[in-house]
Amino acid sequence: MRRYARIFKEFFRTCLVEELEYRSEFVGNLFSSLFGILVSILMVQIFFYQTDELGGWAYADVLILLGIYNTLQGLVDFALRPNMPRLLLHIRMGTLDYVLTKPVDSMFFVSLRHLVFWRLIDVLLGMGLVIYGLLQKHFMPSMLDVGFFFISIMAALLIIYSLWMLLMTTAFWVIRMDDLSFLFNSFFETARFPVTMYKGWLRIALTYVVPAALITFTPASSLIGQWNVRATFAAVIAAVVFFWLARRFWRFALANYTSASS
Amino acid sequence: MLIKYRAILRMKFVEMFSYQLSTMVWMFGTMVQPLITMMVWMNIYPDQGDTFVLYFIALIVVERLTSAWDVWEMDRQIREGTFSYQIVRPFHPVHWAIAENIVYKGLFLVVLLPCWIVLSFFIPSLQLHLPASGWGLFLAALLLGAIIRFAFSYMFGILGFWMTKVTAVYAMFETVSLFISGRIAPFSLLPPVVKQISTFLPYRYMIGFPLEILTGAADTRTLLTGFAGSFIWAVLLIGAIVWLWKAGLKKNQAVGG
Repeated sequence: MRRYARIFKEFFRTCLVEELEYRSEFVGNLFSSLFGILVSILMVQIFFYQTDELGGWAYADVLILLGIYNTLQGLVDFALRPNMPRLLLHIRMGTLDYVLTKPVDSMFFVSLRHLVFWRLIDVLLGMGLVIYGLLQKHFMPSMLDVGFFFISIMAALLIIYSLWMLLMTTAFWVIRMDDLSFLFNSFFETARFPVTMYKGWLRIALTYVVPAALITFTPASSLIGQWNVRATFAAVIAAVVFFWLARRFWRFALANYTSASS
Repeated sequence: MLIKYRAILRMKFVEMFSYQLSTMVWMFGTMVQPLITMMVWMNIYPDQGDTFVLYFIALIVVERLTSAWDVWEMDRQIREGTFSYQIVRPFHPVHWAIAENIVYKGLFLVVLLPCWIVLSFFIPSLQLHLPASGWGLFLAALLLGAIIRFAFSYMFGILGFWMTKVTAVYAMFETVSLFISGRIAPFSLLPPVVKQISTFLPYRYMIGFPLEILTGAADTRTLLTGFAGSFIWAVLLIGAIVWLWKAGLKKNQAVGG
C-alpha cells in the first residue's frame, strides 16, 4: 500500500511537470469550469422556480448534493478519464505488454497513470458549493455527521472507480472510447438529483443495480445530519462487491488478451 | 445534382452501418438526460404526469431528428488536415454533410417511430390527436428546426478555419441552449425573462417550437412568431455559412499539405 502511494505520488509529479508546460490554458479552463458549475446551479434554480422541494429536499440540500456531484465528477475527469484513450492505444498498438511486465499492478497503472490537473478546479468548486449550501442551510455538521460522510464518500469513490474500470475493461472487445465514456456520463447524470425523486422500481434500480444513489445521495444526506447506518453499511458492501467484480473482470480480460505485436 | 445526391446518400448509408454499435449507444445515451428531467418535473407536478411524459418522449424524438454533429467532425478534419480532400472535391462539402444528416436521421426515425407506436399502446398519453394541418405545421417546424440546428453547427465548423477551440465555444452555446430550447423545461414553465430572451435567439426554434405544436401548446400568435422567427434564423444562418465559407477558403492553410 505504501509503495503504491509512493508510485502514485510519482505519477502526480510527472503529470504536474507536463501540465505546467501548458500554463496559458489555465484561464480558459478556469472559465469553462466556472461556467459548468454555474449552469448546473441555474438548472436547479429553474426547477426551484416552480417548487420549493425536490424529492423532499430543499434548495440548499440539493446544492450540497450538487456540490458533491461536481467534486466526484471533477475527480473522475482528473484521474480516470484521461487514462481511457491511453488504454485503447496500448491495446491497439500492443504496448500493453510493457505495462504488464512492469512490477506494479497493471490495473492500478492503467487507470491512474495520467492525470489532468486543471480538473481539480472542478473539485474545488464542488467543495465550495457544498460549503455554500451548508451556510445557506445554517447547518453545522457534527463530528458524527462528518464521520458518516467520510465513510460514505470513500465508498462512493471506490464504487465510481470500480464502475469506471468495468467499463474501461470492455475496451479489450469494444474499440470506440468516446462511446464508453459517454455511457458512463449518462449513468453518472442520474446521480445529480436526490434519489428520493425517482419513483418505484427506478429508485430500487438506481440504488442497488447501478448504485447512483450510493454515490451522491448517501454522502449528502450524511452531511446534512440525516445519516442512516443501514445505507452507509450498504454503500460499503456495494463498494467492496463492485471493486471485486472490477478486479475479476480485469483479470478475465487480461487472460483473454493476446498481444497485438506478436 | 439528383444523381450525385443519390450516390453520396448510398455511400453514407453504407458508412453508417460500419458504426452500428456506436450509433445505437449515442441514440440511447442521449435519452437519459431528458428522462431524468422528466422525472424531476413529474416530481414537482405529480398530477400532470401525462403531459410531461408526452412532452419529454417527444423531446427525445425531436432532439434526435434535429441533432447536429458537424462541428465536431469538421473541427477534427480541419485539425488533422483531411478537410482539404473535401475542399478539392468538385461537389461542395456541405452536400456530404447534408447527405450524412439525412441518412442518420432516417435511421433515427426508423428506430424511434416504431418504439413510439409500441409505447403508445401502454401509455395512452402518447396517442396523438392532431389534425392534419397540425401535422403539416409540425413537420414544417421540425424541418426548419433541423435546418437551423444544422446550419448553426456547420457555421461553427467553418469558424474552425480561424479558431482552434471552436468545439469548446460550440459546447458552451449548446449548454446555454439547454435552458432556452425547451430541453430543461417546457416553455410554459420557464421564468418570464427567459421566455422573452428565447424568442429572439435561434435555440427555441430548433427544438422547443416544433414540440409546442406537437403537444398542442401553441396558439395562433405563437405559431406566427414561431414561424417568422424560424424562417428569419434559417435565412440568416444559411447566409452566414455562404459568406463565411468564401472568406474561410481564402484563410485556410491546410495542415500537412
